[in-house]
Amino acid sequence: MGGPFRRTGDRVLVMLAAPERAVLAQLLADVRTMLAAEGADDDPAADGDPASGPAPARERDPLADLVGVDDDWLAAVTAGAGLEEEPLDERPAAERFEDPAVARLLPDANREDPKVSAEFRRLTEAGLRSRKRATLDRAGAALRRPDPVVLDAEEAQALLKGLTDVRLVLAERLGLRTDQDAEMIHAVLSGMSDSEEPWVVMAGLYDELTWWQESLVRELPR
Amino acid sequence: MAPVELEQPEVEESLLLDSGWVTIVWNDPVNLMSYVSYVFQTYFGYPESKAKKLMLDVHEKGRAVVSKGGREEMERDTEAMHEFGLWATFQRDR
Repeated sequence: MGGPFRRTGDRVLVMLAAPERAVLAQLLADVRTMLAAEGADDDPAADGDPASGPAPARERDPLADLVGVDDDWLAAVTAGAGLEEEPLDERPAAERFEDPAVARLLPDANREDPKVSAEFRRLTEAGLRSRKRATLDRAGAALRRPDPVVLDAEEAQALLKGLTDVRLVLAERLGLRTDQDAEMIHAVLSGMSDSEEPWVVMAGLYDELTWWQESLVRELPR
Repeated sequence: MAPVELEQPEVEESLLLDSGWVTIVWNDPVNLMSYVSYVFQTYFGYPESKAKKLMLDVHEKGRAVVSKGGREEMERDTEAMHEFGLWATFQRDR
């Protein structure tokens, strides 16, 4: 079958050339930026991931907020307001996020009850964002190592998840809505692979990443 | 030991009340059939045949119930599916 990934024992050899790895690492970093904590989109350094050093003071972790006893909290308690939370934002993902690709990465978890969905989001979204960012970081860091790049099991799975998130974003940009749309990409490309139209270039990238991911998933142990 | 015995009926009841939820994975045009099978095998620990059947249900019927249990458990599964980039929801079983 070929493909750019090959299993060697419990590791995976990456046979992409350095420039291809650099492109992929950049795409992973781009999606990571999209997943920055809400309200901190312009400041990716404020994420507070372990890889980027100690958490900055502006870290907005709701759990830390709950645990941390600061003046506002004391004031709230002494005022008898307790730990009253903000009113629940029940908007669906499509309305809540300006970017539909972010809505796809952080989808609604319940289709029947907006309240249930919103509660779930309030409890889990920050954690999901942060774990996705950590995964994208791990995959990107591995790809930036010098040749030969060999992934351990965790890095390989991180890259697999990262490729998924990158493809989800590209598919949103390309307007892929149905299985037929996805199949159409391949057919369109075979007719105009040398076009420099942005849509065609992006579709070509998407197609390539699909092929890479197919290769990687095949080489991973179950 | 006695307190455990006393509390047991309550535990049973809460288990009953809390079951009856499902996690559903929905079809999307992006995720590869091989990847969806991989996720069902590695996250849920399903054998290849079951993972493949569920994947085909997602692909052909547009959705599949991939796990059943208590609400908290289904919320955990849904969150894990989102981490894998699958389009998942949880809801009451019907």
